[in-house]
Amino acid sequence: MIPVLLNGLLVAPAVFALLTAVLARRERLAVATAAAGSLVTFGWSVWLAVEHDGALGEAGSTVDAVWLTALDVHWALGVDGISAPLVLMTTLVFATALLSLFRHAPADAEGGPSRTASLAVLLLVIEAGVLGAFLALDMVLFFVFFEVALIPMWFVINAWGDAYDARARRRAATRFLIFTVTGSAVMLVGFLVVRAEAGTFDIVRVASSYTPSGATALAASVLVALGLAVKTPLWPLHIWLPDAHSKAPTVGSVVLAAVLLKLGTYGFLRFWMPVTSPEWLLVPVVAALAVVGIVYAALACLAQTDLKRLIAYSSVGHMGFVVLGAATFTVGGVQAAVFASVAHGLITGLLFFLAGSIKDRYGTTDLARLKVLYGKVPRLAGVFAFAAMASLGLPGLAGFWGEMLAIRAAVDQAAALPEDTYRWLAFVAALGVILTSAYFLALIRTMLQGGPVTPATEVDSTVELVADTVPAGEPGVVDARGSEWVTWAPLVLLTLVLGVAPGLLLTPVADATASFLVGLG
Amino acid sequence: MSWVVLLLVALPFASAALSLFVGHRGEVAERGIAVGASAIGLGLAFVVAFPHLGDATPLGHVFARTSAAGPAIELSVYVDQLTAAMLLLAHTVAFLVQVYSLGYMAGDPRYPSYAALISIFTGAMTLVVVADDLWVLLVGWELMGMCSYFLISHHWELREARAGAVKAFLMTRTADLGLLFAIIVLGVRFDTYRISTIMGEIADGGFGRDELWLPALLVTAAVIGKSAQFPLHTWLPDAMPGPTPISALIHAATMVAAGVFLVARTFPLYLSAPAALTTLALVASLTMIISATYALFTNDLKRVLAWSTVSQLAYMFGALAVGAYAAGVLHLLAHGAFKALLFLAAGSVVHAVGTTSMSAMGGLREKLPDTFVTMTVGFGALAGVVPLVGFFTKDAVIGSVWDAARHGHLVWPWVAWVLFASTVLTAVLTVAYSLRAWLMVFLTAAPPLAAEPAVSEAAEPHEAPLSMKVPLYLLTVPTLLGGLVVVYPQAVFGDGEYHLVHPGLAVVMTLLVVATALAVAWQWRRSGGRDPWHPFVLPHPAVDRVYAVGVVRPVRWLARTVRAGDRDVIDRYADGAGAATRGLGWVLRQAQTGNVQTYLMVVVVGACAIAVAAGVAS
Repeated sequence: MIPVLLNGLLVAPAVFALLTAVLARRERLAVATAAAGSLVTFGWSVWLAVEHDGALGEAGSTVDAVWLTALDVHWALGVDGISAPLVLMTTLVFATALLSLFRHAPADAEGGPSRTASLAVLLLVIEAGVLGAFLALDMVLFFVFFEVALIPMWFVINAWGDAYDARARRRAATRFLIFTVTGSAVMLVGFLVVRAEAGTFDIVRVASSYTPSGATALAASVLVALGLAVKTPLWPLHIWLPDAHSKAPTVGSVVLAAVLLKLGTYGFLRFWMPVTSPEWLLVPVVAALAVVGIVYAALACLAQTDLKRLIAYSSVGHMGFVVLGAATFTVGGVQAAVFASVAHGLITGLLFFLAGSIKDRYGTTDLARLKVLYGKVPRLAGVFAFAAMASLGLPGLAGFWGEMLAIRAAVDQAAALPEDTYRWLAFVAALGVILTSAYFLALIRTMLQGGPVTPATEVDSTVELVADTVPAGEPGVVDARGSEWVTWAPLVLLTLVLGVAPGLLLTPVADATASFLVGLG
Repeated sequence: MSWVVLLLVALPFASAALSLFVGHRGEVAERGIAVGASAIGLGLAFVVAFPHLGDATPLGHVFARTSAAGPAIELSVYVDQLTAAMLLLAHTVAFLVQVYSLGYMAGDPRYPSYAALISIFTGAMTLVVVADDLWVLLVGWELMGMCSYFLISHHWELREARAGAVKAFLMTRTADLGLLFAIIVLGVRFDTYRISTIMGEIADGGFGRDELWLPALLVTAAVIGKSAQFPLHTWLPDAMPGPTPISALIHAATMVAAGVFLVARTFPLYLSAPAALTTLALVASLTMIISATYALFTNDLKRVLAWSTVSQLAYMFGALAVGAYAAGVLHLLAHGAFKALLFLAAGSVVHAVGTTSMSAMGGLREKLPDTFVTMTVGFGALAGVVPLVGFFTKDAVIGSVWDAARHGHLVWPWVAWVLFASTVLTAVLTVAYSLRAWLMVFLTAAPPLAAEPAVSEAAEPHEAPLSMKVPLYLLTVPTLLGGLVVVYPQAVFGDGEYHLVHPGLAVVMTLLVVATALAVAWQWRRSGGRDPWHPFVLPHPAVDRVYAVGVVRPVRWLARTVRAGDRDVIDRYADGAGAATRGLGWVLRQAQTGNVQTYLMVVVVGACAIAVAAGVAS
């Protein structure tokens, strides 16, 4: 049963992409098909998640067929507790993205294949690529799917990006492509070297039987880390990200932040950790870069003047926690990394959707021009405040557990790692949490709050409100629409559920990690 | 019973969700949900609390656990005497605040979110007091910070409200890191996060003096932030632009009270680490005097009360720091009652007058008779007048510090002496500022009407509606009778030796109170029945300046540097890429033949190259 489900999960979005392409001339229908496809894929992934038994390697639980005989590359797919949460998050985010696209569909119907339908096709192709990468158990296969997910993204940013600044969006798209393709090429070279050392591309076998040591193994690990560090992104290789995320269309930003970054973090867990020995200096260096990224991104956010750029930078910080978790080489660290990845997908996806809704209404994401949204669009602003709270790691919401557990893992890191270094890293990462709170509060203050009332006060006196409040609503601007609620609701709900019941995710991840990476503490 | 506890935690959150979703549907839904849920909550709190007061065995139950790496994180509850008392306090105050808000917030378009946040606040505090898992406790602990942030900025049109809210959130959250690291350290050390287990192990002994200094000091850091003690004492007074009922909730029963609760909950940890106790004692000594001084001079009624909260919290910490558990906890409960009373009464004054400035008040005794009576009781309790509850608990605190100074062994005697001197001095200051505020609000001649149209158009100050008066009178009951518990503490804490009543000291303190009161009254007469002393604005607390210069400014500078740095890097990269592209473009033009076969060829060769590389490598 599982093999059929695994292959089917890749086939479903591909088939629906084809269908959508065929129907592209009938825009509404085409986009509806794409949305239906994403829902089918989501349902399928839920089925897969229910069916799978949590561990790789047992017969019948994976797909394994020789694909390129000469290269010993296998069509090897499988799912376990590490990848299942990411797969579910991916299909959910794509479903919400395509549903939100459906709302825009009837708007521009001219002759020829519609633009929105083409965008939907590309999104489905990306979805297939991302799912393939999450399911791949063969290093080269992972690389291939990685590329499949990247290339269409270039089109998405280049053709559907910021309508107001064509030059900037082209530059952003190209920069995105150059960085990530270079990164993945480096990663591929790393995989080839691993193949030379371990004798196989099969990551499950590598994880169970390969003990990396020596200069070549180190070089391989460095190359893989370098490639993934571009995608994740790890400081200082993040500079492609703010442009790409802020110039992409709303669904593009959502997919980029919520899903594509996870290719990098998932790569760290699945393909980097098994080929790396915690005894190398490389590991603390990666952890340190992650922590630098946390603080650096938070500082950058404090000085941003554009909403989408701010959210984009915040991703760099959140990904820092994920990589820090991985770089502790503990089961707890992997748990934290997966949890933080999923939480970031939900929360930052939501934030970009909200930024998109704001841009729809006001035509800008310039923070100097967005004021008093609490008064103008109270519900939208309320959801935004919720998302901001979730993103700054409020306990009881999903953003909290991953990051706090990453800090815990850093304090209680693997025995082979330098204890004091990691304790300091944990401390600095915690300061990053405070800075993260600071910039989100600053954002709420400048964008949501504010008002016409500036009461004269005595030096030593407080004022409590007596003045007229800002009238609710604003002519011509609609508060949250029904279709937007459909997009936001699942993300909001899951953010709450994972915040209240983190065990839902932590437990399967721990089991899978213990069986995949034998020997972790 | 354990399910009732879980229900008690869940109920406020459910009520909050309901308020948010159907609260806009009309008056009945709006008000009914909030008040109804808090009434049920109060009922459940009684059901849970009463069986666990006195000589009862604590209730512990684990609902769910994650089988994660490291110690399990558990959804577990633990109800002992401390929890029971705190539940009663929190839910009583929350219920009264919800009832009071019916009148106070009438007509406020943001009432649904306001009511929802109060509910979440109550739920979070409940979670803190019943939690038996450190992480669960942290969840409630930080949720309270979030609620107070949103409630302080309820009137987000006001600059002060926005600034105060951000300050409150950032200061407390920074301090919360202490709790986070304490949890991590304790988890590593004890291999469990269950509070009752950890505290049991510590209480059983086997730990050297100060062996656990690190987690104890980390907890202290969190407590200092949450309870607004020096040097993080400045956020609480700046939180005053929030609606007044919220101040009652924050100051009496949740948020700042949670700091004291946490010390009480982790008391065995503190007893094993005198370093933390000493820190706490010194911080408390300093805080109580500083804040009482501010309370003495400020001209803002709510700020007087806010500073007095800071000062009274320091009293509780002082008691706990010398090992006087019962005295500290009882003062917390007593303070909860009379401070809620004072804030709600202050709200009723503000409601009538339209400002919090005391120089705009005066002569309200006839106009607000109910407020006058109840607030007098509240101020009396704060000042420690016989036989109100504040008198007994304050006497218990000072008495235990006195005992510790003479023959205590937990902290060095000099620390206890410093603390003792502070408590006595603060008691005097407390009488002075309470009496001054009371005189200025109620007895001083009414100020002449200002010429501003806003004020002259306003109606004559009038007594608040019934929904606001009833909570005031209800709160006078524990304020009047609470002293009985100090006389018979076994009712709360169960059997044991409690040295809470110190008759000799009580007489001395009462004489001090009377002397101070006479001095203030005399001073007031001399000033012609206005402010007893010359209006004098104390400088803003210097630590804020330190934070501004030492933290905020460098961070802003760094942020700008980072942004500029990133932009420059990107630009340089873009320039470089441009040049490289031109070069590469030339090469590609040579290769570009427009022939599909050529492209295909390149792809194939590339694939072969990879294959060869792989082959060679293997």
